[in-house]
Amino acid sequence: MTMEEGNVAAGKRKRNIGKKKGNKTKNKKLKMLEGKGKKLRVSKKMRNLFEKRARDYNSDDDEEEEERKEKENTEAAATRRGGGGDNSSEGSDDSGGGGGGGGGEEEEGGEIQPGVMKFTEGVRAFRVAFKNIIKRNIANDSLGPVLSGHKQLIAKKLAEEEAERKVKGEAKKEKHLVAEKGHVKPANYLDSHEKFLIGIATKGVVKLFNAVNKAQKAQKGLDPSRSKDAKMIRKRSKEAFFSELGKTSFPVQNSSSKDNTSCDPSNDEGPAWAPLRDNYMLTNPKLKDWDKMADSAIVDDVGRMSEDSGSDDD
Amino acid sequence: MARFRNRKTKVFVKPIVKKNQQQQSNVDHITGNKIPKSFVFSRGKLPGPIRQLQMDLRKLMLPYTALNLKEKKRNNLKDFLNVAGPMGVTHFLILSKTESSPFLRVAKTPQGPTLTFKIHEYSLAVDIAQSQLRPRCPQDLLKNPPLIVLSGFAAGNEHLKLTTTMFKNIFPDIDINTVKLSSCQRIVLLNYNKDTQLIDFRHYSIRLQPVGVSRRIRKFVQNHQVPDLRNLQDVSDFVTKAGYVSESEADEEAATVTLISDLSRVNRASTKSAVKLQEIGPRMTLQLTKIEGGLCSGEVMFSEYGNGGNKKKPDSEKGTEKEDDDNDDEIGDSDEDNEREDNEEEDEED
Repeated sequence: MTMEEGNVAAGKRKRNIGKKKGNKTKNKKLKMLEGKGKKLRVSKKMRNLFEKRARDYNSDDDEEEEERKEKENTEAAATRRGGGGDNSSEGSDDSGGGGGGGGGEEEEGGEIQPGVMKFTEGVRAFRVAFKNIIKRNIANDSLGPVLSGHKQLIAKKLAEEEAERKVKGEAKKEKHLVAEKGHVKPANYLDSHEKFLIGIATKGVVKLFNAVNKAQKAQKGLDPSRSKDAKMIRKRSKEAFFSELGKTSFPVQNSSSKDNTSCDPSNDEGPAWAPLRDNYMLTNPKLKDWDKMADSAIVDDVGRMSEDSGSDDD
Repeated sequence: MARFRNRKTKVFVKPIVKKNQQQQSNVDHITGNKIPKSFVFSRGKLPGPIRQLQMDLRKLMLPYTALNLKEKKRNNLKDFLNVAGPMGVTHFLILSKTESSPFLRVAKTPQGPTLTFKIHEYSLAVDIAQSQLRPRCPQDLLKNPPLIVLSGFAAGNEHLKLTTTMFKNIFPDIDINTVKLSSCQRIVLLNYNKDTQLIDFRHYSIRLQPVGVSRRIRKFVQNHQVPDLRNLQDVSDFVTKAGYVSESEADEEAATVTLISDLSRVNRASTKSAVKLQEIGPRMTLQLTKIEGGLCSGEVMFSEYGNGGNKKKPDSEKGTEKEDDDNDDEIGDSDEDNEREDNEEEDEED
């Protein structure tokens, strides 16, 4: 009896928890919608339901049932005062239904031949067997739930797949190595060789820029003016350029050569920069109309330069 | 029979499309010479990094190259030749790979000599950018062709002279009188090392920095960021404080240039500026292995492996004769005389 009661209580608790979980949302909703007073009613209802179910599950004797029915009735009576009329009607319904259900089951159990177990006992037996099975299968098998005869086949297959994957991986690695051959990731710092190379390149650039500056400096003041001058300049410029390249490359044995066609000279007439001269654009009648002359001069330059390069060939 | 098209000769080539749809000129306005244009492509299927190297080389050769050149497996050299003619392409740079190493072939169309280089080592542009603290790539860096500097070649023999000429002619000429210094932003360096017979190929970007200005002021002017004056009593402290002078600034004495015109806000005329180079672009170590008289064909003028050597190239040729005299005939360019003059002048022994 006590065992059963304990079980019942446990069962009730279990199912209570479950039910509560299930009905949490319902409870919450009802809580939100209705007031605080009605909360009691809901939980009472549920409790009745739980009790009824517990009884159905485990009830063996009519006596117990009746006892419970009475308990329920008293509870219902108590709540009748607290709650509304609905509660009482439901309470009586529950008890009536519970009684009927319990009785029915009992009767069915009784009518079936006595060799077969009672329903509830059968349920209990199933529970025990199930628990045993679950306990036994805790052992974790790598292959998973597999019938024993099939196990070896599957193990073989898996081993083969592993081997294949390994081989493929190695082939891929080799391919990758061949593809990357010669590909070198540079170091984070500049090592001495790189510094040396940068130095060479810098020297080259400096030479070129200086030469360009020289050429363009003098040219600024002079070229748009007289065509005769321009020709002389160009002739002198080539020698000057090459000589400059020659003398600046002395300390290092490198021959840096650049693309160029012609280059420019230093002018000896007073300050090299034309605007610095006193007579810039004022006294020189040719330069007065520099903006009009510039276009034609440039065209001439182009023509002459291509001529020059043409003459240099062969 | 219009239905039957000859599919074998179809080449899917896309030249670079400029924003204003301007046709690239074949002839330089200023010098009157033909502007050399190039195709960079590959023979055979190339593995990953080499394809990136090809892209890097294309960027290097900009603007006078086809950036989005697409090639199909069935295209062979003839197709490229056919397209090259009308488009005015003068040079081919061909990448290929064998089991041993990648190869780079530089050829002049339509029947110019072909130089074959074996690439011993290479680094991609992205590798170099990753290795640097502050990688630099200004926006219009690739708008202008690079300068080229060849060093150490004078010490070599004729084969190297041919190499020199070939490389010089790949990049367009610059005219000293009219070139704008602001347009010279890149430089390609080829350095020949006599001992190992290897050619170092580097690609740098040029930057001018005003010298003689204290570091703080320079940074302030360049970055437009309000400096931190918390610890100073007076603005004059900020301006006149002897700042921390980095080691490299001392080395720059030799690298200063006097500008004549304003290049930018900080590089003004008649002031000294220092030339600073930063590496961008691919880095390669090349070894000249073969020179052929024709375009990937013809007689072999120089071969690293000597007579009767085993040819590793996909297109094999007939003879292995060493004929140095043929070099002169094959070279089409006319500036040779000047260059030879240069080399002789600067050939000074230590």
